[in-house]
Amino acid sequence: MNAQNIDNKPKVQKETKNRIKVEFDRTPLKERLKAKFLSVFFLKKVVWYVFRLVLLVGISYIVLFPFFSQVAGSFMASDDFIDATVRLIPKNFTLDIYKAIWTENHYLESFANTLLLSLVTALIQTFICCLVAYGLAKFKFKGNGIVFLAVIFSLAIPHQTLQLAIVQNFYDFDILGIFHFLNGSGIDLYGFKYTNEALSSIDLIAKSDLFPFKTGGMNLLNSYWPFIIMSLGGIAFKNGLYIFMLRQFFRGVPDELEESAYIDGSGVMRTFFTIILPLSIPMMITVFLFAFSWQWMDDFYTGLFFDTQANLMSNLWRTIPESLKIDYPGQNFYYAAIRNTAGIMIIIPLVIMYLFCQRYLVQGIERSGLTAD
Amino acid sequence: MTQDVKVKAPRKRKNASLDKRKARAGWIFVLPFVLGFLLVYLPIIIDSIIYSFSEVVPPTTSGMRTSFVFVGWENYKYALLVSPDYVQTLLSGLQSMIVDIPMILIFSLFMAVLLNQKMAGRAVFRAIFFIPVILSTGLMETINAQNTLSEYMGSSSGIDDGSGESTASELVSALDMQKLFGNMAVGQGLVDYVTNAINNIFDIVNRSGVQMLIFLTGLQSISPAIYESVQIDGASAWETFWKITFPMISPMILVNAVYTIIDSFTTDSNVVMKYIGEAYVSEGSTVSSAMAWIYFLIVLGIIALVAGIISSYVFYQKRDA
Repeated sequence: MNAQNIDNKPKVQKETKNRIKVEFDRTPLKERLKAKFLSVFFLKKVVWYVFRLVLLVGISYIVLFPFFSQVAGSFMASDDFIDATVRLIPKNFTLDIYKAIWTENHYLESFANTLLLSLVTALIQTFICCLVAYGLAKFKFKGNGIVFLAVIFSLAIPHQTLQLAIVQNFYDFDILGIFHFLNGSGIDLYGFKYTNEALSSIDLIAKSDLFPFKTGGMNLLNSYWPFIIMSLGGIAFKNGLYIFMLRQFFRGVPDELEESAYIDGSGVMRTFFTIILPLSIPMMITVFLFAFSWQWMDDFYTGLFFDTQANLMSNLWRTIPESLKIDYPGQNFYYAAIRNTAGIMIIIPLVIMYLFCQRYLVQGIERSGLTAD
Repeated sequence: MTQDVKVKAPRKRKNASLDKRKARAGWIFVLPFVLGFLLVYLPIIIDSIIYSFSEVVPPTTSGMRTSFVFVGWENYKYALLVSPDYVQTLLSGLQSMIVDIPMILIFSLFMAVLLNQKMAGRAVFRAIFFIPVILSTGLMETINAQNTLSEYMGSSSGIDDGSGESTASELVSALDMQKLFGNMAVGQGLVDYVTNAINNIFDIVNRSGVQMLIFLTGLQSISPAIYESVQIDGASAWETFWKITFPMISPMILVNAVYTIIDSFTTDSNVVMKYIGEAYVSEGSTVSSAMAWIYFLIVLGIIALVAGIISSYVFYQKRDA
């Protein structure tokens, strides 16, 4: 670099038996640092790094701030909400709100009920969506396209459009008029009425008292059955999305795998259960996590199928515990803090699960090779 | 057993039967959905359509059920001509949808590109960015909508945090933005658009989680060999993005556009859906289901239009056979 360094021969400085100390004419440290750090390239890199960091930290703050403020509010005593000097850090630290929700709003029961509901529906949905998606991805049959369109349709139709019909159908649940027929009320298929004379003359006890039979159909409201039936049919909340995701995943699984299994004499079902399913466990975990947490956070369907007194997570925030009811100027804020605390208690189990499983969530989606074709 | 069977005939039959067997297996796999759709979902949809054409008759004697009487197009007429705010809400809802969708798409693509780069703490940032996918849906959305407290607490920081009204504590005031963009002569519309985007940042971040995941998937499926070759050819980062990354993930843009439309009109926070939910109580369930069907048909039309426009620009990389 410098003129005096042109004849760049190493000079022997010191020689012992085993070691030779040689001095090179290296560019001085100062020069090297200058070349490295005072270039446009480096400047660009630093600016981009800072810009990116600020942006990411800023947006992370936006995502996390509501949770911070909710957690902060949950530890405050009622006095803190009229104290103008208290913003995010509680002055009178207390666990009253947590205790009240734990005991008076039946937290443990709600937790157990919702856990059971979410586990059952998520397991069923994962399995059913795998079956359907595999069928759509790997088999050519007449109607494949139509079934896939139906899947997309079931995803696209907003559930609010159907809410009245959903409630009516599960209040008076029936498949092809079988229950109506058995109960002697006759079948009413959009204008055509068929009655079952023989059965209607027998006064079935089942009609009103013993079983939840109301008008011939079954009243499935206030039970888990609507969720289970919808999950079994692959038509529950966002199942269309799961089927779509899994279909894309299965399309990425090479056909040769199944072909070699078929040649070895394995049937279609055996191939699916012993080769394809074990292969797709990470993807299934992803779908399971989605199904579980969306069922956990769902308040639309639980609101439709259960009354507001049911001990479920979705009702935990609805009632203000009796012991916390007070009338004072900060009431609105205080009640909001109580609702937020209920919200925190609802999401804590999910947060714990998310901490352990979030890599599956991202990896699974990455592995699915979700594409548009 | 006859000997004069031709060699090809059995094989042909065997092939056909294998295909048939596979077709049958395919039907067995999709059977749960087909049954669920035909036996449970379709009756619900048909009932819902019937309800939108009928009127509720309350039970006259005890033991009788609520019944529905066919009234023709009355509910639709009522929704479109008589109902005071429905058409206005519908128009403003569609308008905000058209504004929001490009914003969410651009934001999620940008964040996906950012999160795809190698850097320290990438896993942590990814984990934080996907929190809304899991935690800010359904129930929390309902609770947050009633959260009067966060406005009070956040009033020192002044960030929109989903509590609804944040006009008093906007992150960036429209005036500042207009001063900044005023000299650039980019037009009032764009200034309003950007200001609006920044003030709704919480909403946008919350709604672009799944889209970010989908874009990330797309980015990771692009072969590194392509990037290597354009780098050798001397392309800048800007050129690489527009000539390689953008075309390669254009299929994802289509998927995300459709997903965003569906997602934005099925959430409870959507103004039209909120209005329909209120109409369910105030104006009767049948009117509200007529309103919901009108909205659904319009949105279906928008999806078809958007999908049609975008898909004509989508680039599919031909796979090597």
